[in-house]
Amino acid sequence: MTPFVSGTDRELAEAVRGFARGILGRIPAAEESGEFPRDLIGELASLGVLGLTVPEADGGVGASAVAFALVLEELAAVWPSLAVGVAVNSGIVAGTVARLGTPGQRARLLPQLMDGRGLAGFCLTEPSSGSDAASLRSTARRDGEGWVIDGQKLFVTNARYAPFLIVLARVGAADLQRPHAGITAFAVPTDVAGVTIGPPEKKSGLLASETSTVTFESAHVGVESVIGEIGRAFGQVALAGLDAGRIGIAAQSVGIARGALDRARAYAQERRQFGQAIASFQAVRLSLAEARTHLEAARMLMLRAAWRKDAGLPYTREAAQAKLYASEMANRVTYAAVQTFGGYGYMREYGVERYARDARATSIYEGTSEVQRLVIARALLSEAA
Amino acid sequence: MKLLVCVKQVPDSTVRVKVAGDQKAIVPEGVTWAISPYDEYAIELALEHKDANPGTTVGVITVGPPRARDALRQALAMGCDDATLVTGADVETLGGLATARALAKVVDEVTPDLVLCGKQASDDDQGFVGQALAETLGWPHVAIVTKFVASDGGTEIWKEVEGGHEVWKASGPAVLTVQKSQKDPRYPSLPGIMKAKKKEIPEKDLASLGADLGGPSVEIRAMEPPPARKAGRVMKDGDPKALAAELAKLLRDEARVL
Repeated sequence: MTPFVSGTDRELAEAVRGFARGILGRIPAAEESGEFPRDLIGELASLGVLGLTVPEADGGVGASAVAFALVLEELAAVWPSLAVGVAVNSGIVAGTVARLGTPGQRARLLPQLMDGRGLAGFCLTEPSSGSDAASLRSTARRDGEGWVIDGQKLFVTNARYAPFLIVLARVGAADLQRPHAGITAFAVPTDVAGVTIGPPEKKSGLLASETSTVTFESAHVGVESVIGEIGRAFGQVALAGLDAGRIGIAAQSVGIARGALDRARAYAQERRQFGQAIASFQAVRLSLAEARTHLEAARMLMLRAAWRKDAGLPYTREAAQAKLYASEMANRVTYAAVQTFGGYGYMREYGVERYARDARATSIYEGTSEVQRLVIARALLSEAA
Repeated sequence: MKLLVCVKQVPDSTVRVKVAGDQKAIVPEGVTWAISPYDEYAIELALEHKDANPGTTVGVITVGPPRARDALRQALAMGCDDATLVTGADVETLGGLATARALAKVVDEVTPDLVLCGKQASDDDQGFVGQALAETLGWPHVAIVTKFVASDGGTEIWKEVEGGHEVWKASGPAVLTVQKSQKDPRYPSLPGIMKAKKKEIPEKDLASLGADLGGPSVEIRAMEPPPARKAGRVMKDGDPKALAAELAKLLRDEARVL
């Protein structure tokens, strides 16, 4: 028994674990070519992973945030590039539409991110707007019956195979006194004229997950594309979405660390030096023990944040703590795992250095570790003495 | 078409079973339980028929202890429509014939067009219940089945034979015992798991079925683990030619494989 996890949550995660084992053979080629295997999106749809967090009334599985975190852990333990695509589609995008969408928007948009035609994307970051997300410069202005969007968005996961993107743009002039003012969310189909998806970025890790720049040049969308309230999206969409998204990054981090540690453990028991398995040397034993302990601590933080979300309790600080601790842990554990393999660990063929490269992103995206500390400090210092 | 699949919950194939102190059973603690693999193939065969013929219903039944409910739950998650648990005192030591007679009572009630069983359970490997069920019902039985299709007024059934298959035809209800086929049993889908949670699994009391649970039976006298393997011999020092000659001699005289 694990605290925070129901029997259903565990069964859902186990079903995904079985599926994930079956895709191992497809990883090396996709990581090498840097192309996301499109057929896998359909398989994820059939299994029900894509609609995991979508309410049953909207045609989804209606699973808990705990189940979603455990499922992302399972996917990331095998293939982090896959987990990140699912996290964006079924986490921040599905969550935003399910939470703020009108019945019409839910009926139109949610099937598109569950039926396997693609994975939806989320556009917040811009060339000059990263940690200071409210300083974004993309604009939206009224034009007749609809809106016209202009701007450039960076590092958009899934953009090349997204049926639609959630785009944050400012309505009205920027106000230095009220930097969040005017920020509005739009669901923009990727086939609209004026939307250009750039080539995949050449990244350090997560090689099979395609990440692109998206440019909006007088992209026209209808009034029905506004998600939530006009001018209120910074709090309603960006901050709320990132809170949930951070649980997802914590889950990916736990999965990445678990995948790397599983390999390191197996290798340590099999590799012999000085006449014995290297797992018998204290230097290796201590490293593995340390890794396992921090991994499980991270998982507990992740589960607590997810459980609070399911319970309807505030979880901003808990999600930031889980994301901070788990992503830093994943970097340390994957370092130790490569170290256990020695020279072989540095070779791609052994499949362990991939986890170390993939872990690096977890302490950067959805808010860097430094930003998480700001969030945690803000909560700490605002508490009554 | 109405299909009924009989399943048995057995220790998962990855479990290392231990023999209990009385040498009559395995130690149940720490065992992960699963649907017997051939029964999973039977479920898959039934569900494939349902996929191709939407009017089909697939029921699943087990005679077993209350924990066997998990096996039924998994079958529902894979896509079966309904499940029945037959349970009662002494159900764990029930013999194959009594199990078949209990199943027959439920089959009489449910009146399926076909009953599918795995060809044998992976725990005791007896391969008995399916045949005994056919006999009790007075229904025809086809063994080692890999495929079936509804055809004019009956069912065509593919039975695996050495180097190929035979096609049999059943004109009415029949019992099929199912072989491993090329298509692996499906994973339970995530919506399937959620739906299975909400389904009632009715329970029938073994003693109240009116089945004859006496009659001839077999009794386990003793169970023992296979003997531990002796350590292998490594021959590495010496002239390769002499080593090869020595190896050939050992394979002939000691191992007797040449």
